[in-house]
Amino acid sequence: MQYLSSQISVLDKMPLKWVLHWQPNPGTTVNSQILNEVSQCVESLNGVKDGRWKATLTLYKPMLKEQSLAAEFPRDFLGISFPDQPNKYYFIIRGQRLVLEADSTIQIIMEKLQSYKSRVTLNFEGVQYLLGDFQLRVGKVVPNNSESLRGIFMEVEYLPISSIEKSRPIMEEFIDIWQEAVSKRSLPGHFMQIEPNFAEYGLSDHYTSQHTAVQYATVMAQIATVQSVQAVRN
Amino acid sequence: MECVVQGIIETQHVEALEILLQGLCGVHRERLRIHEICLKSGPNIGSVSSEVRLLCDLEKPDPTWTVKHIGGAMRGAGAEQISVLVRNMVESKASKNVLRLFYALGYKLDHEQLRVGFAFHFHRGAPITVTVSSINKMLKLHATDEAVPVTPGIQLVEVTAPATSENYAEVVAAVSSFCEYLAPLLHLSKPGVSTGVVPTAAAAAASLMSDGGGTPL
Repeated sequence: MQYLSSQISVLDKMPLKWVLHWQPNPGTTVNSQILNEVSQCVESLNGVKDGRWKATLTLYKPMLKEQSLAAEFPRDFLGISFPDQPNKYYFIIRGQRLVLEADSTIQIIMEKLQSYKSRVTLNFEGVQYLLGDFQLRVGKVVPNNSESLRGIFMEVEYLPISSIEKSRPIMEEFIDIWQEAVSKRSLPGHFMQIEPNFAEYGLSDHYTSQHTAVQYATVMAQIATVQSVQAVRN
Repeated sequence: MECVVQGIIETQHVEALEILLQGLCGVHRERLRIHEICLKSGPNIGSVSSEVRLLCDLEKPDPTWTVKHIGGAMRGAGAEQISVLVRNMVESKASKNVLRLFYALGYKLDHEQLRVGFAFHFHRGAPITVTVSSINKMLKLHATDEAVPVTPGIQLVEVTAPATSENYAEVVAAVSSFCEYLAPLLHLSKPGVSTGVVPTAAAAAASLMSDGGGTPL
């Protein structure tokens, strides 16, 4: 039953993306001034504004008959929607290295099943810039219906290549230039990319939206870690 | 939402039904081979017990998966008077690891079956799908290659059409009207309302087989 075990998906093809998050220096927090400076940085590299952009990430929690049974169910069950894939929805369980692509109607099915409900919804929203063969999206991570800044993210999209390995030197070179531009502003932190092991999720070298979903889930986990560390300090 | 009726036909008359459907629909049949996995929520999860179906289309070169949720049927005096079931139904295509996801979420395998047959998709007052299939059960987990018929010699006929709360009355009328054409061969009714095979089936099938479906029944 090959179709029951294989996870390699060929559902879609797309340009390649790296998703980075702002890692504040120890003892500092993210603030909107950093986001302003980062945005100015993109413009100093001749980035041209190309509209606004918003991805939505929802953390689900199980609807349990007894709370003591919570350990039996995933605590990191996420759903993500992207504006460039309006008819798709992505589910991720990071702990089990599981990513699923589905039609957006899967959200209606989940509602009807009444087995999981939204715990928190975060919006990744910001401005899209064009920069030669690159598209940059820089913005804030905020809870739905709130302006409380939880983090800053950056998405770098390289349009011509879909192979992760072939594009790596180009992406690394771009990130070096970018990091240098940001470092000149002496901001209290830096952008960090944590590349997930896509193969663990059954994803190939050929980039798809499922790769993007996995990266956003990773960024979400990093932001949550930074916040929990800050909470302990405070 | 969807409108649905079902009926059964003896396998010996399926060829005649296919000729009739071909003549009525004006389109070619598509082969059908669907592995259907029915999952139910585990005892500890969910405010109510829930059920979801995962359908894997094995006719495609690269099998595709669909998640299907069948909700409650429309109720009330109006719903009882019509011969077609109108029910909530939501579908979503999904990538291949959808079964793994639902297992991870706490869903358990309830049963599975393999539907083998053919389908016609066409527009006749509404977009209508007719499937004619034998229902097979697996003797071993997921062993679709070794599936055996649940009711040998009998096939299930299902007529479905998507609908909304605004247009379901017209869709019901379209489905009912279409079903009348099939009446000599089989009787279609709401799922769960068994009406058996029709006595005129043999004569109607013989007529269809002799003239290739050219004469209206």
